[in-house]
Amino acid sequence: MKLNSREQDGVVVLEPKGKIMGGPDATALKESIRDYVNANKKKVVIDLAEVDWMNSTGLGIMISCLKTVKEAGGDLKLANVTDKIKSLLTITKLVTVFDSYDSAEEAVNAAK
Amino acid sequence: MLKPEIKGDTIIVPSDPSLIGEIDEFVESRLRSRNVDDSIIADIAICATEIANNGIIHGNKEDPDKTVTLTMSFTNGEVMIVISDQGSYFNPETIENPLDEKNLLREVGRGIFIVRSLMDRLEITPANGGGTTVTLVKKIT
Repeated sequence: MKLNSREQDGVVVLEPKGKIMGGPDATALKESIRDYVNANKKKVVIDLAEVDWMNSTGLGIMISCLKTVKEAGGDLKLANVTDKIKSLLTITKLVTVFDSYDSAEEAVNAAK
Repeated sequence: MLKPEIKGDTIIVPSDPSLIGEIDEFVESRLRSRNVDDSIIADIAICATEIANNGIIHGNKEDPDKTVTLTMSFTNGEVMIVISDQGSYFNPETIENPLDEKNLLREVGRGIFIVRSLMDRLEITPANGGGTTVTLVKKIT
């Protein structure tokens, strides 16, 4: 997995690319979120457009990111959730935990 | 650096979580060479990396002297993947329901549930020598 990040309208947009399945992926996303939260940037969008799939480790990482941001009083939204990941969020009921938007633009507008 | 060993349709991986990508590549390449649909490849790769992660982290406790072995076989339009670790037996009955409200925000504990949902068959048995053997079966044609 590769990880790009940018800021738009005061919202941090993280753009992982590839597959989120454990190993080094587990730390990269979590550390990035923690760094932003520590820098008082607590409005975050994770844009999943370029993520082919994730396993339960990936879902665990998403939950960890959500908790880090929420506990700091911020907000986290998902954007461009692919069909494969959408189906995993549905069968695990995590669809009730995450706010998802069809585009990064919409997610940023909702988060700011 | 530790490296996996590949013999035909078997990969033997030292218990280093950073090697999970090599297991994914191994599984996906063998499915792709049989022209399996991308969506089915993704389901199988999700489950194979899920179980291999469990073996490396929870079974073998990341002990580099212990390995996880994954073998793929193809018969009757199905793939069978057998994954064994060298840790102690993992009893699936001990897993809490990940759909319970109190467990929804847990970061772990939904791997086996996902595998059951995506595979046609899942068997978890004690491995020879004390670890866990997990067998996954999925129709690929």
